[in-house]
Amino acid sequence: MSLLVTSARLRTFLRTFLIQGSWNYRSLIGGGLAYTLLPMLRAKFRGEPEQLHSAVRRHVQAFNAHPYLSGIATGAVVRLEEEGADPEMIGRFKDAIRGSLGSLGDGLIWAGFRPLVLLLALMVGWLGAPPYVVIGLFLILYNIGHLWLRVWSFLIGLQGGHRVVERLREADLPGLTRKTLAAGSLALGALVGVVVMDGRSLGAGFWPWLLVSAVGFALGHRVGYAAWRPTAVLTALAVLALSILGLA
Amino acid sequence: MTVVLFRIDERLIHGQVVIGWGTQLRPGRYIVVDDDLAGSEWEQELYRLGLPEDAEGEFLSVTECRERLPALRDDDVSTVILTRRVEPMLGLARDRRMEGETVNLGGLHHSTDRVERLPYLHLNTGEASQLREIVSEGVTVTAQDLPGSRRVDLETLLL
Repeated sequence: MSLLVTSARLRTFLRTFLIQGSWNYRSLIGGGLAYTLLPMLRAKFRGEPEQLHSAVRRHVQAFNAHPYLSGIATGAVVRLEEEGADPEMIGRFKDAIRGSLGSLGDGLIWAGFRPLVLLLALMVGWLGAPPYVVIGLFLILYNIGHLWLRVWSFLIGLQGGHRVVERLREADLPGLTRKTLAAGSLALGALVGVVVMDGRSLGAGFWPWLLVSAVGFALGHRVGYAAWRPTAVLTALAVLALSILGLA
Repeated sequence: MTVVLFRIDERLIHGQVVIGWGTQLRPGRYIVVDDDLAGSEWEQELYRLGLPEDAEGEFLSVTECRERLPALRDDDVSTVILTRRVEPMLGLARDRRMEGETVNLGGLHHSTDRVERLPYLHLNTGEASQLREIVSEGVTVTAQDLPGSRRVDLETLLL
């Protein structure tokens, strides 16, 4: 592989960190994807400004994916472009993979990994660690997973091209999501259990907090998903009020 | 059980559908209705990656889905039906096959011939008249990207 290609791939990968920089409802991360691919496209269409312009216009169309997994699409498109694949086929590939990268990433990272790491950090805080250790631990653990996912995603996209689906099946991201969610549930249960049992640290005492928890559980069970937004607002207001009154 | 969601969304199987609507409606089956995708195995494989583990996915042509629609509306397994354009949904609705159902507009994005109706919904004149045709087949049409967000009816949308 030539130094030019290696350098273009490396710069393309580094730009994946900025893929959400121009997010908007019109093209979602389409502009970010075109910006990310630019080093590779410039290397490929060196001395052919019209073809470069045409390729950028193709990639600036609407596209979306979870940012951490967007490298899978980016890497695969790099490979397809380098191989001179049919532009229509590349467009269809992007259309087909974008939804999956969104739902896989939402489940694995937003619903699974991030809450798990946050809960682990809070548990360390509950054990007596100072706030800067809690925050630092969260940032370090979270970004180890984040950076690993970014690198892994780009590499399997680059290796797999439009057949990246086989690599993704082998990786079993849904299985990983399931394990992460289970670990998160365990951590949440442990943390809530410790907090509720240690009534001395609850300010207002044990029973009022248990009552609030029971009402919250019943409401969530009854109303379900639609309750999360008002619940988040009410919880934030309640914490603020309790803080002002010196009860929390 | 029945068809719990008819949705028009360019992205088809993605986070808003699978996590947003899926966690609330708990469908056991997702059906994508699209004549091109029904014959393209490699594209289907990519779309299937986004399906939840406990749900099956099918890719049908408009004709195939029209034939199965009465059975799907009376099936034990709850189903989400997705199209990425308005036209296939109109194809399903013709001859009052979807009478009494609601079509959810979830995401049609910007293109040069489309006008923004909501941040996530852009329509051209042809699509607007196709949606009115769907309504004339006894179907309600509303726009709502996620279960927790505001629902907008078609007449308000096309004002």
